Amino acid sequence: MQLRHDRLNEYESGQFKAKFRLLFIIIIAATMLIVMRMWYLQVIKGDELRQRSENNSVRLRKIKSMRGLIMDTRRQVLVDNQPSFDLVFVPNRSRDIANIIDKVKTLYEERSLAIPSLGSFTGKMKPLVPVTLEKNIGMEKLAVVETHALELPGLVAEVTPIRQYLKGEMTAQIIGFTGEISREELDQEREEPLTPGDIIGKFGIEKFLDGHLRGKNGAEQIEVNAAGKAVRSLGKIKSLTGGNVVLTIDSALQEVAWGAIGNRRGALAAMDPRNGAVLALVSSPSFDPNLFNSGISFGDWERLANDRQHPMENRSISGQYPPASTYKPVVAAAALEEGLITPETTFYCNGTFQMGDRIFRCWLERGHGHVNLHRGIVESCDVYFYNLGAKLGVDKIAAYARAFGLGSPLGIDLTRERSGLIPTRQWKLDRYGEPWQMGETISLSIGQGFNLVTPLQLVNAYATLANGGTLYRPRLVKQLESSDGLVIKVYGPEKIKTLPVSPRNIRIINQALWGVVNEKGGTGHVLKRKEADVAGKTGTAQVIGLPQDDRARKARRASADFKDHALFACFAPHAKPEIAVAVILEHAGGGGAVAAPVARKFIDAYFDRLKAVQPDPQENEATGEEKKEP
Amino acid sequence: MIKPDRRLILNFDWTLLILVLLLCGIGLFNIYSAGFSLAETHRVPPYVKQIQWILIGIAGMAAAFFIDYRFLFRHAYIFYGVSILLLLVVFMAGYSTRGSQRWIAIGSFTFQPSELVKLTVILALARYFNRHRLGTDYTLRKLFVPFTIVLIPFAFILKQPDLGTGLILLILFLSIVLFVGLEWKSILIATISALLMSPIFWYFLKPYQQERILTFFSPDRDPLGSGYHIIQSMIAVGSGGLFGKGFLKGSQTQLKFLPEQQTDFVFSVFAEEWGFLGGMILIILFMSLILWGFKIAIHAKDYLGALVAFGITILIFWELFINMGMVLGILPVVGIPLPFLSYGGSSLVVLMVAVGLLMNISVRRYILQS
Repeated sequence: MQLRHDRLNEYESGQFKAKFRLLFIIIIAATMLIVMRMWYLQVIKGDELRQRSENNSVRLRKIKSMRGLIMDTRRQVLVDNQPSFDLVFVPNRSRDIANIIDKVKTLYEERSLAIPSLGSFTGKMKPLVPVTLEKNIGMEKLAVVETHALELPGLVAEVTPIRQYLKGEMTAQIIGFTGEISREELDQEREEPLTPGDIIGKFGIEKFLDGHLRGKNGAEQIEVNAAGKAVRSLGKIKSLTGGNVVLTIDSALQEVAWGAIGNRRGALAAMDPRNGAVLALVSSPSFDPNLFNSGISFGDWERLANDRQHPMENRSISGQYPPASTYKPVVAAAALEEGLITPETTFYCNGTFQMGDRIFRCWLERGHGHVNLHRGIVESCDVYFYNLGAKLGVDKIAAYARAFGLGSPLGIDLTRERSGLIPTRQWKLDRYGEPWQMGETISLSIGQGFNLVTPLQLVNAYATLANGGTLYRPRLVKQLESSDGLVIKVYGPEKIKTLPVSPRNIRIINQALWGVVNEKGGTGHVLKRKEADVAGKTGTAQVIGLPQDDRARKARRASADFKDHALFACFAPHAKPEIAVAVILEHAGGGGAVAAPVARKFIDAYFDRLKAVQPDPQENEATGEEKKEP
Repeated sequence: MIKPDRRLILNFDWTLLILVLLLCGIGLFNIYSAGFSLAETHRVPPYVKQIQWILIGIAGMAAAFFIDYRFLFRHAYIFYGVSILLLLVVFMAGYSTRGSQRWIAIGSFTFQPSELVKLTVILALARYFNRHRLGTDYTLRKLFVPFTIVLIPFAFILKQPDLGTGLILLILFLSIVLFVGLEWKSILIATISALLMSPIFWYFLKPYQQERILTFFSPDRDPLGSGYHIIQSMIAVGSGGLFGKGFLKGSQTQLKFLPEQQTDFVFSVFAEEWGFLGGMILIILFMSLILWGFKIAIHAKDYLGALVAFGITILIFWELFINMGMVLGILPVVGIPLPFLSYGGSSLVVLMVAVGLLMNISVRRYILQS
């Protein structure tokens, strides 16, 4: 019977009694502890604590930490901190915030100072938890508030470090900006708990490395008087300044690139093909990150967010463009490697190429005649590549494009990197539910059609050709340092994969890319220079398909919104490449005429700078040696 | 299953019922006071919600009383399984605030399965130890299964993260194990190996987890959070003095200096308004409840009943001790509610159901005797 079995036996009964005796002693002891503590607090310390409760005036002040500095590869400071004052109201016994706001407004009015919208506060008020009324008040306002301190109980000016973006618009998309933590961000799990009012990185490197840059808030217990002003400090925990970040960017080159693009829309990306270090990353138009320093005004935000030119978008990593003729080396590498052609194979270009009932044109209407690989690339003969495309088919082209790092994010140290698009048969079936058309492969083989790449992917693909076939992860961060300059982490080259193209075939293609710039008839002739041999490829991307009819074509090309995107991708010096550059200018015209000169200015600046600054900073990169700017 | 039995009424444990209702009543008044100044922030005043919870709790208590507890115990593993499933639901789709995911939302009510787990773990452990009675003390190896019973919910609760509830589960387990008996040798081995393991365990923690544990041991490390709370709490308790400031007159409470004043820190509200004497009365009530619970455990006529009665009582004791210790600044701040007094439905309803079980065990010793 279950019931019998459940009964206690003799052994257990005896055990229980002994155990309860012990237990009783433990519980009485624990209770005595509680009672004694209560006696101590309420009776012995009672009067003292009652007094403290009556003028409870110990306020906890948050000491905001300073964020770390951001420097360029030569340790020039790009982002700095500056103290600013915020006007805060500390509710204590007096919680009449409306009255204080009115008084402040009157004081401002008397001195004809700008009156902000102070009265918007409606939330809950907790004792001694400050409410921010106005951020970054100037010296005049600070003086006014301080001199009238006695009439303004609870009002305090608090020091808050704010960011100073020394290079402004030029580096805005890389470095990003900071802002007050949002409600959603507060709910996120993170290593250090954050509290409302904390400043965190919102965009760019500021966001990507927020944990390193942010530092740690300190706190101070201060005794305040009836007017809410600090009387003395009762205890303090210092804030910890955030760590510094050294970027691979060279701000002098960044500046040259920014100037060369001017007020056009577009992007430039430059990297060291030997290790993937990004030297410049420009996107135009840009915005002023200093606007975000003390909370961006609604008007400014609206203007930025609704700007049709999208100044907040980092075109160099999020802009997706048809690669146009800059794609041709990829197709050539595929055809060579697959053994479908040799460098000597020729095709005849009469200016058109027929596929089924569609006619595809070469950009040179009269045709190039007999064309081999070298001339095909140098003169950018479309018909030659139509033939290669027809031989390869879409999926083989896609496989090689992916091997070049196109079609997926490369993993640069920034958020919002886009993947571009490398179409395949399956992709089209999934996306449109339609089978692939052969004609689409033909457009694809000259980088038109569905193909999309980001400027960063383009420069990375050319860097891969330049270094003989190693795909590196593009890196923006050179090293992390503590706030006092001790190196914490050095980032070295990170190899993603090796290009499945033989060194011989890479040499053949690179030779042709050299020809583009240095041979007569090459489309990138503008770039020919003595000091360093440049090898590169122009591209002119049609924004939308052009009509077949000649007159309509010309009319369409002339209108600004349908103007072609100009592209140029290159590396230099040809023999021993140390820099790769990609330029894309939106609706700007032909690649050779418009984009190549921008790259030219940049490469000139690079080699001038090399001569001016010795030793070469790139060689020291891996060792992580400290260099101080004089 | 439920048959009206005259003996249930004749031998009803009135003492237990009166003690619990007194505690709930005190809690209600206290929450009214604590929420008095917060009235503008709630649509439904907290004390009204608390009344609803007490009524639900009474219903749960009645149900736990009238059902033959052996029926409940026979299905202990099923209850345990269901509570683990609820924890899983919290893990997958729980409602989270401030970085910890502890609740399931049902309409406007939220429910915290980790409170329920405390009770179902007691039931499951009791059932296990009842089935595997040795007649002698246990060794470590024989504790593998019961340890697993605790470890599963413990892992889920740590993940939420809810250090306090996790610790309560461990303490509960240790208490029950010591109660069923553990060899001296095993106690020694367990203590020594736990001490030796802790530095290794430390290495596996992430820096922020280490920091949390350090803060746990010395609140000064976190002056923005718990350190400040403790100071305010101690000021509140101390300023109550011998007789207290009176109902609705606690300045710390009414000026909202206290953190979590309706939930984990309700005792500081009570101590401020009712002073040392009020605190003593509250402690005496709690001690009566706890000693009464142990009396029920001692007099239970079956092993299972004794184990469950012991488990429930010791749970109430530990929650009481840890909560008061935290409010008085002698224990680190971990989120443990004060039994029956803290605002919040999950803890209250589960505890009242547990008390229903206690009554059940109490009355059935007369029934089992015959």
